[in-house]
Amino acid sequence: MSAPAVEVSGLQKRYGDVQALDGVSFEVRRDEIFGLVGPNGAGKTTTLRTLATLLDRDGGSVTVAGNDVDEAPAAVRKAIRYLPEEAGSYDAMTGRQFLAFVADFYDGDSDAMVDRGVEVADLGERIDDKTKEYSKGMGRKLLLGSALMTDPELAILDEPTSGLDVQNARTVRGVIKEFPNAERSVLLSSHNMLEVEFLCDRVGLLNEGEIVVEGTPEELKAEFDAQNLEDVFVEVVQ
Amino acid sequence: MRPFTRLVWKEARELLRPRYILPILMLPVLFIAMGQGFSGIEDQLGDEPQVGVLAYDDNEYADVVQETLEARADVVYNGTDGSPERALNRTTEAGGSAVVVIPDNFTERIRDDQRGRVRLYTRVESVSIVGIASSTQVESLVSEAGRNLTVAITGATETELDPIERSHTTYVKGERMDASPGAVSAAFTSQFVFVPVIIMFAIVFSGQMVMNSMASEKENKTLETLLSMPVKRRQIVAAKLLGGSFIGLIATALYTGGLAFAQLGVGASFGGSAVTLGGTDYALIAVSLFFSLVGTLALALALGVFADSQQGAQMLLLPLSGLAIVPMFATMFTDIDTLGLGVKTALLVIPFTHPIIAPKRLLFDDVGIVLVGIGYEVLFAVGAVWLVIRLFDSDRPITGDAGWLDRLVGFVQR
Repeated sequence: MSAPAVEVSGLQKRYGDVQALDGVSFEVRRDEIFGLVGPNGAGKTTTLRTLATLLDRDGGSVTVAGNDVDEAPAAVRKAIRYLPEEAGSYDAMTGRQFLAFVADFYDGDSDAMVDRGVEVADLGERIDDKTKEYSKGMGRKLLLGSALMTDPELAILDEPTSGLDVQNARTVRGVIKEFPNAERSVLLSSHNMLEVEFLCDRVGLLNEGEIVVEGTPEELKAEFDAQNLEDVFVEVVQ
Repeated sequence: MRPFTRLVWKEARELLRPRYILPILMLPVLFIAMGQGFSGIEDQLGDEPQVGVLAYDDNEYADVVQETLEARADVVYNGTDGSPERALNRTTEAGGSAVVVIPDNFTERIRDDQRGRVRLYTRVESVSIVGIASSTQVESLVSEAGRNLTVAITGATETELDPIERSHTTYVKGERMDASPGAVSAAFTSQFVFVPVIIMFAIVFSGQMVMNSMASEKENKTLETLLSMPVKRRQIVAAKLLGGSFIGLIATALYTGGLAFAQLGVGASFGGSAVTLGGTDYALIAVSLFFSLVGTLALALALGVFADSQQGAQMLLLPLSGLAIVPMFATMFTDIDTLGLGVKTALLVIPFTHPIIAPKRLLFDDVGIVLVGIGYEVLFAVGAVWLVIRLFDSDRPITGDAGWLDRLVGFVQR
């Protein structure tokens, strides 16, 4: 049986005097969408960045697809795609050129990846325009296309529908929902609790640098006797 | 396309955007334009001056003056009466700017063993090099007329008038040069004024390009995506340096070409082969400048890690610009060899000093010293590249945390 997509145990990170993460532990299984939610400053982005090999940790262990992020960062980077909350593309490239630029770093048929990216981005003829001419929503769709086109074992998506209108957000949610399989998983962070409830198989609520509750949306609602995840969130954070 | 090639292509493409490339292209164009401007002035001053003559005296010595002017200048107005102002107006209308007025007692005074008098009327429309230099041309015409008058009055020969023929051998720091001290000094001065400025611009522009490239990764939010992809951090650094070096090489070629152009001009002006550089010298200057640029780019990239925007990058470039400006001024106004040991050492520690002083060293055939300087620049470049790789291997590009330097950077950016 293959290793879980993510295993985080006792993860700690400090920025100067601030203890950003204080023993975060959770697991993302294969074929699931795991939602990491929490208030601003809870440590979500720090956790995601650590998983994406962008930040060094001060303590604990983190493995992605069975690889330690510090000991085998190259293997981790091959296994993941990270879509930061605030991400952009290169102004001098067209959307298609940007997809080709990203595809070249991954094993497999680059042309097929680009075709898949074009399909997910769903930008029509605008895919051949310079990215500097894109609206925020178009840029986000391009980045989502580039994140999913490489078939990563783990897609780390920070606020994937940020900046999208209702229709585009709905389309993107459909793409994400269909993404997991026996080899692929999604770790998602969002402030939109309805989105999290719709997409995620399990949810971990991060508060003040640690996971305070974890379970399926149904389990959490039952535990806190709440109508929806938003009520659970408010109950826990208060 | 291979990932590394794709990265270099991306860097070159980003740096070839107008905002980065235009300043590099504009500067040599500016220098060429300035060179053409000065060349135009030289051409203008090389032409026969256009003058007017108002001769109230029609006797023999006044004739000598008139003949001299007609032989050496384009006399556009020739009058025997009327006011000098009217003569000057007519001369100006005909393209001249000066009138030589010969009074009616000119010949008579010389016959009475007195100095003959002429008066020059000049119209200067602009206080410029051309305006001032054209009156000097007319002055020299009058001196020539005086010489011819001496021959006419005394019957002296050319040898009697100027019996001493001079030739110059000047030793500068033991180097023999067959030119006058004035010519040598002028040749050196022209290099010490322009060459360090050109090199300083090459260093500053290249540093600025790479630093801006790093800052724009942060501004455009592309850095996190780039660093989380399966590519070694040192490859990202190498691609940024290679892409930047590519542009830097273009800059180096342009500026070295400009340097060669300036050198050729100096050689032609003073005809002294001893004060010009050869092909090998230019190659050494180019090598020196190249390694200096590699070190600069690596240092700029290291600084760029801590820049959160292009504006911040501009501020962080200040210390780098300062390091290039100090040796520039030191070379322009002093000779580094004559400075005290402390100041001299401090200047030689700055890697940018070496390409700046290289032309002067090579003029004196101090090739060994230039090679030592290049060796130092290589060491500096290797150190700077090592530093930037260390930075990229850490999480500092994301956090921007510079430790105790952070407070200093914050102070500079404020």
